[in-house]
Amino acid sequence: MSDRKNPSLPFESSDASEQKLWQALGELPQAEPGANLRRSFYNELEKADSLSWGGRIRAWLGLSNNTGWATATACLMIGFGAAQLATENSSVESDRMVALEENIAMLNRELVLDRLQDDSPGTRLLGVHAASNLVAGDDEIAQALLVRASEDRSQSVRSAAIDALGPQLRSSRVGDELMLLLESAESPIVQLALADLVLRNGNQQQLGELLRLANDERLHPDLIQHVKKSLRSETI
Amino acid sequence: MRAVSDEQLIEWVAKGDASCLGTLFERYHKSVYRFCLQMTRNTHQAEDVVQEVFIKVLKKAGSFRHDGTFKSWLFNVARNATLDYIRNNKRHKIMAPLDEHNESMLVDDQSAEKVTAGAQKINILEKALAMLPGHYQEVIWLGRFEFASFEELGKALGCKTGTARVRMHRAMQQLNVVYADLNGDPCDV
Repeated sequence: MSDRKNPSLPFESSDASEQKLWQALGELPQAEPGANLRRSFYNELEKADSLSWGGRIRAWLGLSNNTGWATATACLMIGFGAAQLATENSSVESDRMVALEENIAMLNRELVLDRLQDDSPGTRLLGVHAASNLVAGDDEIAQALLVRASEDRSQSVRSAAIDALGPQLRSSRVGDELMLLLESAESPIVQLALADLVLRNGNQQQLGELLRLANDERLHPDLIQHVKKSLRSETI
Repeated sequence: MRAVSDEQLIEWVAKGDASCLGTLFERYHKSVYRFCLQMTRNTHQAEDVVQEVFIKVLKKAGSFRHDGTFKSWLFNVARNATLDYIRNNKRHKIMAPLDEHNESMLVDDQSAEKVTAGAQKINILEKALAMLPGHYQEVIWLGRFEFASFEELGKALGCKTGTARVRMHRAMQQLNVVYADLNGDPCDV
């Protein structure tokens, strides 16, 4: 999201193998920086911008020992800036507001992605709830939620992630992943969350697949009855 | 929502609003990181340099002149910072061994059979690029991934448009030779 699409120079040589090399260069892996880079940058930026106030605000908020404090503080700092600018009237300030809003949105998104990977299940759950508002049209968030839905140690987090992905069930990528998950899920709670999701938002093909799993007795026995009953009442 | 231009943001940074640098960081830190990683061949060093670059941007924002894009100016700062870093860390010269991240991208003897021929050739290309002198690596990387005109590329490299064009030509010739040497055949990816 943050970096724009890569431009490239038009290649000018007439040498065929150099042209192929130029094309192949586009296939080189593009590495991602570690999460610490963003934290340490905002830490430095905060120091440069407001050396003493940053520490006071962090301590006041009780964020000193939290790994996400740098991002949270940056949000806060920008939020204060936005509030201050909101009181001024000029087109330049309006542009600056747009920039600040853009920045807040990006930081908020990063905070959500951080939370989804936190060690604490409670924080991951908070991340899932926040991600449900951002998932539409954001592949990275959708992927992070799918990971939570399929791999999280906590059943609550998995169920919540499945719910959050509900509106995306009809998108082919998310839909396919969730249906695969339904086939492989062993926990009845996760199965129930997935089955409910399909019953509420699934298309005909997904409903057919759910019925097949129920008929093949690949779901929890109590859930099989629930699925068959729901599908029967829907047909009627 | 209308996006504010990079040039407007750096002007605000120059006037003392450091928070606007956050927006520029979000827009460009990944690109700058990839460039620095290509040049340093080490993920930790690349992250150090990226941080240094943006702090330099904060300090030098007032010296940005609107005779080019912010992006070319930023990459010029990044290039100089990377060269300084490499100079000051002699044990990590351009030809330093690949770090863990890059090693993981290479094909070892055991996994070679599992990797497709195309992927192997990309790995060879990556090696070949890393074996070129720094001034050739940078022109290829920036020309292939960051700039769509030789004019902007020249500004990022701190040289004239014609010089950037010639340097690119020579860099690609050398890459072709090194690749063919490593692969046994010229590129047919």
